[in-house]
Amino acid sequence: MPQIFLDGQAFEARTEQTVLQVALEHGVFIPRLCWHPKLSVAGNCRICVVQVEGRSWVEIACNMPVSEGLRVLTDSPLVREHRKATMQFITLNHPVDCGICDKAGECTLQDYHVAFNGEASISREPKVQATKFHRLSERITLDNERCILCTRCVRFTREVSKSNALGVKNRGDHSLIRPAEGDDVRLLDDDAYSENIVDICPVGALLSTRLLYKERVWYLQATPSVCPGCARGCAIDVWHRKPEWKLRTLDARHNTAIVRVTPRDNPAVNGPWICNKGRDLALLLERPRADAALRKGRAVALDEALAAARELIGRARHPVALVSSWGSDEELAALDDALGDRFTCFVKDDHLPADGEVVEDDLLIRADKNPNGRTARARFGHQALQFAPDTDLVLVWGEGCDFGRLPRGVPVIFLNAFLAAENGHAEVFFPTSVHTERDGHFTNADGVRSAFSRCVDRPTGVVDAERVFRALASVPAGVAP
Amino acid sequence: MSSIVASLMPEFERLRQRFPEGFDSSMTLPCLRRIQELRGHVADEDISALVQWLGVPRIQFEEVLSYYTQFRRRPVGQVRLEICRNVSCSLRGAERLIGHVCQRLGVAEGGTTSDGRFTVTTAECLGSCGTAPVMVVDDEYHENMDIEKADRLIDAMSHADGGRGG
Ligand code: SF4
Ligand code: SF4
Ligand code: FES
Repeated sequence: MPQIFLDGQAFEARTEQTVLQVALEHGVFIPRLCWHPKLSVAGNCRICVVQVEGRSWVEIACNMPVSEGLRVLTDSPLVREHRKATMQFITLNHPVDCGICDKAGECTLQDYHVAFNGEASISREPKVQATKFHRLSERITLDNERCILCTRCVRFTREVSKSNALGVKNRGDHSLIRPAEGDDVRLLDDDAYSENIVDICPVGALLSTRLLYKERVWYLQATPSVCPGCARGCAIDVWHRKPEWKLRTLDARHNTAIVRVTPRDNPAVNGPWICNKGRDLALLLERPRADAALRKGRAVALDEALAAARELIGRARHPVALVSSWGSDEELAALDDALGDRFTCFVKDDHLPADGEVVEDDLLIRADKNPNGRTARARFGHQALQFAPDTDLVLVWGEGCDFGRLPRGVPVIFLNAFLAAENGHAEVFFPTSVHTERDGHFTNADGVRSAFSRCVDRPTGVVDAERVFRALASVPAGVAP
Repeated sequence: MSSIVASLMPEFERLRQRFPEGFDSSMTLPCLRRIQELRGHVADEDISALVQWLGVPRIQFEEVLSYYTQFRRRPVGQVRLEICRNVSCSLRGAERLIGHVCQRLGVAEGGTTSDGRFTVTTAECLGSCGTAPVMVVDDEYHENMDIEKADRLIDAMSHADGGRGG
C-alpha cells in the first residue's frame, strides 16, 4: 500500500490506483471532464492537471499512477493557471448558449467555468460553427457546437453498452461525434442503454429529444426510487416539478407528471446506468388510472366495497389469491399477514416481455419484467397457478391476469391501478396506488433490498393495497359478517 | 469480400501476426493504406470486407479515414496533382500556381478533369518549405515550381501515352 501526499496530507493508496482515484476516494477535489469512473482513461480534456512537488510543469491526475511517497499539489498557482488556460481552450469554439441549453444548472462545464476561469473568451477568432440539432437517434439530439470532444459517449457505446454506435469523425476543430454510415447509422436506436450518454455528457451536447426545451432543471426535484421495469430493480431518481414551482395554468398534470428518470448510482445493483425502459417509466405508470372502487362495475364508496369484499371472503371456503409481483415487500407481508392463512396463494407475473423489448442481456436487463417476484415467491411459493375444482372465490391483485381463464361463475375481488375492462367484470374492485405514490421496498432478483419513496400523492379515490388487505384481515371462515 | 481485399488477404494475414492479440483495431491504418495504394481510393465495399474480417466496428474505420485527409473515399483521376498552399509556398507564388493549374485543366480545387485524367487538390504543408512552392504529382515531389514548369509537366502527362503515369 503506497502512501502518497496530496497537498501535504498523507493518504493510503492501492497500487493500481491513479492519483485522481485516490483523491476522489478521500474527498480531495480534482476536476475532471473526460474521466468517468466506469470508463477507460482518455486523458484528453486536461482539466485534471496536478503538479508533482518540485517539478515546474503539470501532469494529468487521471492517468498518473501512484507510487510510494509521491507528493502532488492539486491547487498550486501553476495548476490554477493551467486550469484557467484549459477552460479558455475548451470553450474556444463553445457557443456559450447556456440561456437556451437544457443542461444549464447541472452542467460540469458551466460549474468549472465559474470556478476556474470566470472570464470572457480572450480569443478574437470567429468561433467554428457546427451542427446544432443533429438527430443522433430516435431518443437523442446532438448539439455539436457544445461538444467538448471528451469521448465519454463514444467510450460508453464501446465499453459498456457495446453497440459501437459512435465515433469521432474528422479532426481538430472540425471533429464531430457521429455514427458510422450505412446501416450502422441506426446502431444507437438499437442500443437499449443509449440514454445514459445524455447523463454522462459533461456538457449540453447530448440531449434527450423528448425533453428538449421542456423543463429547466432547477424547477425539478428528484425522489429516490426503484425501477419496476424488471427484476434488476435499478436505483433511480424520479424527477417531478418542485411543489413551490407548481404551475397554476396549463394542464394540472404537469405538476404530478414524471418529467424524467435518471440512474441513482448503486454499486450493488446498477452502478451509474439504467436501461432506456427505466427512462420511459412514465409510459408504464402514467397510463389511464382507475380512481373509483366498483361493485359489479358500479362506482361505490370504498367502505361499501370493503364490506362487500369481507362478505365474499367470509362466505368462501376455498379462496385463491393471485399475488402481484409488483407488490412491495410491505404489501406482500400485509397480504400474507391478513389473508395468507385463508387463501391458497399463487404468484403472478404482472408483466411479461413486451414485443420488441430486450428480454435479457448480460449488463442489467432481466427476463423477469416484475420488480418483486423474488420476495413474492419466497413468501407464497413457486407453484404454478392451478384452480382446485372447489375454488369459490378468486382475489386478483395487479395486472397480467387473463380473466377468461378464471373458473367460471366464481366471484372475483380485483385490485388494479389502471383502467381496464376487467375492473368492471369483478364482483368488487379496488383502485390501487402505484409505487411512486407510497414508500416501500423491492427486493431484486439477486436479493438486494432497495427502498423507494413517495414522489407524489395518491390521486383522489385511489387506495394503497396494503390498506385494503389490512381491512380484509380477520374475516373468519364460513361466517358472513 | 471486395476483390482488392481478397487479393491483399495473404499480406494482411501476415501483418496480423505481428500484432499482439486484442489489437485488431491497430490493423485499420495499414490495411486501408494498402487498399488505397492499389485502388487509388477506399470504397465502401472495402470497409465492409475489413469489418467482416477483422471484427472491428465500421465506425473505427470511418474515424481513421476521416481523420487522415490523405485518405480518399471517392475515385480520383489517373494523375493526382497536389499543391501546397501553406505559408512558405504561398509566399513563393502557390496561389498563382493553383489558380493557373485549375484554369488550365478546367477544374475547381478538388475536382477531376472530365476525361478522368487529372485531379487537382491543395494541401496544408507538405514539408517542403525550403523548396517552395511544391507540387506533388502522385507521390513524387516537384520543387521550386512555377507556372512554366507546371505547364511542361502537365503537357507531358496529358495523354495516356505521353510522359509518366501513362
Ligand atoms: S457529446 Fe458530450 S460526451 Fe460525447 S464527446 Fe461531446 S461532450 Fe463528450
Ligand atoms: S434494467 Fe430493469 S430495473 Fe433497470 S432500468 Fe431497465 S427495466 Fe428498469
Ligand atoms: S479528466 Fe484527466 S484529462 Fe480529462
